[in-house]
This record gives sequence, C-alpha cells and structure tokens, in this order.
Amino acid sequence: MIELDDFSYAYPTGSRPALRSLRLAVPAGQLCGVVGPSGAGKSTFAHALAGFIPHALGGETAGRVVVGGRTVADTPLPDLVRDVGLVLQNPFNQISGVKFTVREELAFGLENLGVPQEEMVRRVDAVLAELRIEGLADRSPYQLSGGQQQLVALGSVLVMRPSVLVLDEPTSQLDPVGSGQVFDAVRALHRAGVTIVLVEHKLERLAEIADRVLVLRHGEVALDGPPATVLADPRLADWGVAGTRYTAAARLARERGLWPEDRDLPVTLDAAVAGFRAVTGGVESR
Amino acid sequence: MTVGFYQHRESSVHRLNPLTKLTLAVAVVIAAFAVPLTWWPAALFLVVLVPAVLAARVPARFAALTVKFVGPLLVAVFLVQGLFFPGEGAELARLGPISVKAEGLAFAAQTATRLLVLIGAFLFLLLTTHPGVLMNAMVQRGLPPNISYVVSATLQIVPAFRERAQHILRAQQARGMATGGGLRRRIGVLLPLIGPLALGALTEVEERAVAMEARAFGATGRRTSLMPVPDTTAQRLARWGLAAFAAATIVANALGVFA
Repeated sequence: MIELDDFSYAYPTGSRPALRSLRLAVPAGQLCGVVGPSGAGKSTFAHALAGFIPHALGGETAGRVVVGGRTVADTPLPDLVRDVGLVLQNPFNQISGVKFTVREELAFGLENLGVPQEEMVRRVDAVLAELRIEGLADRSPYQLSGGQQQLVALGSVLVMRPSVLVLDEPTSQLDPVGSGQVFDAVRALHRAGVTIVLVEHKLERLAEIADRVLVLRHGEVALDGPPATVLADPRLADWGVAGTRYTAAARLARERGLWPEDRDLPVTLDAAVAGFRAVTGGVESR
Repeated sequence: MTVGFYQHRESSVHRLNPLTKLTLAVAVVIAAFAVPLTWWPAALFLVVLVPAVLAARVPARFAALTVKFVGPLLVAVFLVQGLFFPGEGAELARLGPISVKAEGLAFAAQTATRLLVLIGAFLFLLLTTHPGVLMNAMVQRGLPPNISYVVSATLQIVPAFRERAQHILRAQQARGMATGGGLRRRIGVLLPLIGPLALGALTEVEERAVAMEARAFGATGRRTSLMPVPDTTAQRLARWGLAAFAAATIVANALGVFA
C-alpha cells in the first residue's frame, strides 16, 4: 500500500537531509507505529507519505514515495487527500474555523471535493456513529475538549474515506481520557482494514495496537520489526527514546535477579502481568 | 456559543435567504443616502426596519445595540453640524462664536437618521442571520471560498485567540508582572503580551494551512454544500424589486426629482 523507494528529503532551509534513503513498504491493512527522538524525522516522514512533501513544503527530494499505486510527487494534493488522510498534533489548529457546527466541519473536505449532498450526509452520519460523537454533531467545534476536537479532526479526514491514514502524534496534546478516545478510534479503524501509520510517543499504547514499529533516528530507519522486539531493544534509551514502563520494570527486576535472562522483556501490560506471574510463581496478592 | 451579533429565534425573518436580507439592508441604505429629503431616512427606518426587526422578534437587542452604536455619533453630529453649520440660514440662538441655525439642525437630523438607517439595516441583517449561513449562501452564489474563510474564521478564531491572550496574561501575572494601574503601565503590559501571541499564531499558520489542504481546500473543481441555503421565486423577485427600488432613488435624485 505504501512504498518508499530510496527516498530522501531535505527542507528548503535545512542544511542536512531530514530523511535519508528510506526503503520500506507498508502492506495494506497494517498498523505501523513510528517512534524516535525529536528531530529524528518522524513528522517529516508523515508529511512525505501524505504528499505535503514535496507539494506544500517544497525542499529537495530524491527517490520516490508511492501510496496506493500512485506516485505522491506526481499526484496533485487535492487528488491525494482522497487516498491519504493526515491528522496532526494540535486539534485546535485543525479546526477549519469556517464551520459553525461539528456536522458541517466534518463535511468541509467533501464540500471542497464537490461530493453530492445526499452522499455527504450519509458519510458524515456514518463517521459520527463510527467515532461515537453523534452527541457533538450540532455543537461548535470550538466548544469541544481537546480530545473531542481531535476526534472531529480525525472524522473530517475519515469522511473522505482514505485507504491510508497517517497520524502525526495525534495524542501529544491530549489528556489521558482524550488520548484513550483517539486510540480506541484508531484501533477500530485498524480492525476495519484501514492502513495506518501512527507517529506516537505513548509507547505503552502503541505496543498494544501496532503490528509493527519503526524507529527513526537521524532520518534513517534504525529499527524495524514487531513491537515486542523493537520496543524492548536496550538501545532505545541511548537514542533518547524512553521505552515502556513495563519494559523498565522488568529490566529493573532482571538487574535484581528476579527476571530470567532468557525471558523476553514485556512491552505491554498483559505481557508484564504474565511475566511477573510466571517469575514469582503466581503469588496472589492478599 | 454566540457568534457575532446573531440572535437565534424562530421567525419567518430568520428563515429568509440571507441574500434577501442582505439586499434589503443594502437597498435601504442606498435609498436613505440617495434621497435628499430630511424626513426620508427616518421614514425608511420606521416603515421598513422597525417592522422587520419586530417580525424577527429581536427588538430589545436591536434597540440596545442601535443606541450603543448610533448614540455617540448622534451627539457628535448634532454638536458639529447643529452648532457650527457654516452655511447661510436663520439663526435660532447665539452664544459667542456658536450659532444654532435651523438649516444646521435639519442637516444634522438628516445625517443622523441616515446613520441610523445604515447601522440599523446591518444590525438587522447580523442579528437575524447566522454568519455561517450568510457565508454559505454567498459561496453558493460564487463568493471565493478564501474570502468566506477570512470572514468566518475571523469570527471564530478571534474569540479563541482572546482566550489565549488571557492565558498569556495570567502566566505573566504569575511571574510577578503587574497588569493593573495607569495607562502607561497598561501599554507596557501589552508589549510582552503581543509578542508570544503573534509569534504563536505565526508558527501555527503552517500547521493550519496543512490541515486545510488535507481537506482539499485547494481543490479547484465545483464545490457542493452540506446545507444548501433554501431560496424561493418570491424572494428572488423581492431581491430584484429591492435592487430596482434602490436604483430608482439614485436615478430620481440625478434627474432632480427632489430638488
């Protein structure tokens, strides 16, 4: 579904490339997590997949990005957005400001694309139900909490029915409740078969839903594999990526001789519980 | 959330196509300024705008805002035109260099009532028309979406920025900056407020632009609307009628009908 063929990119004002010779493929239906220290090129990667690089941000590219069979650099942005949806960090900045209700806000992209009205109503209703935000339909987008606004931002991209969804740290400005709502929505979309690239710092959450995790560092892929392997890699800390708290707890237990060397470190709560139960002989708390 | 001046009511005036109300507002303003009869703007106000406002069930708000906006202008116009009218005319009273002339008072009355019609007509439009619906109707009539964006976004984003300014102000107060006091101090407070506010807004422009493009704002094809604004043949005819009326007042004045 997504292919990067020796893709490199440098910002117009950048002295060195932000992305270097990326070669990777994301198959249809996969949820691919992207992590890395700040400045590693994660947002740049997200913008390149969605076509904003090179279309909107300029700069120099080499190699190519192909999404859904179309070469991104050769496809005009308004055509591309039907295939690739992009959701950004700041919910407030993604509200168009032109629309006065959530329902109209969701329809904004469809209006721009000239989708017939009946079809628009159908799609907006479907997305309201899918994200369970029917109750917000007639409220002003500016009256919502950050989490609700981010769901609206996600919904306003989903109405265009993209086959690929790129989310650039969608929960970084949200409280735990808001983050939970967004993760639930992403999980549901993944189940529905949407190909998802999720740049995310909340590794505990990412570990639960991702099929695969990429670690970017200095614009290159430093690690690529299943979350259980990648997120437990001891090099992450050296690279400025804090692993999950479950991995940290088990690593500490290993240093104290409580966690066997041959047992993998956990990256999810379930794996941590199972691991600690096994190493403590299943002692139940009183 | 209140948006602009809009007052939500269930009224036939609210249900009119915004373009009809816009045409009405523009037509009465043109008529008020085109016809040089002293009583004419007041008549337009009483015969056209007052009944329209009553039918729209917003008289209290209309009256309050009209007084607020027209009041100061009224005082200024009567002071300047009424007391210092330069032309010839019968002097009604005199106090040193100040002379009150009948012509001056008549001119002041006409100018004041013209302003009353100007402000009243647009208050009527804004009180009874949701800006979103007005913009929808205008975009459906070919207004470029960029212009609609500027108007609608200003109405919504400005209050949001005001809130942010409050946050910055409180953050600075928390670090011991005194924000009360005299004019000089208040101006001094503005500078450290404007910096973060403007810089914050500028750094967000790119993200905002990307978010808009991600929703095909740059598409060039025909646009559609989720909520087409209803229109009727009667209203279309009324708009032509109003336009003809406004044009007639200009022509009549040019031909010297009122001379």
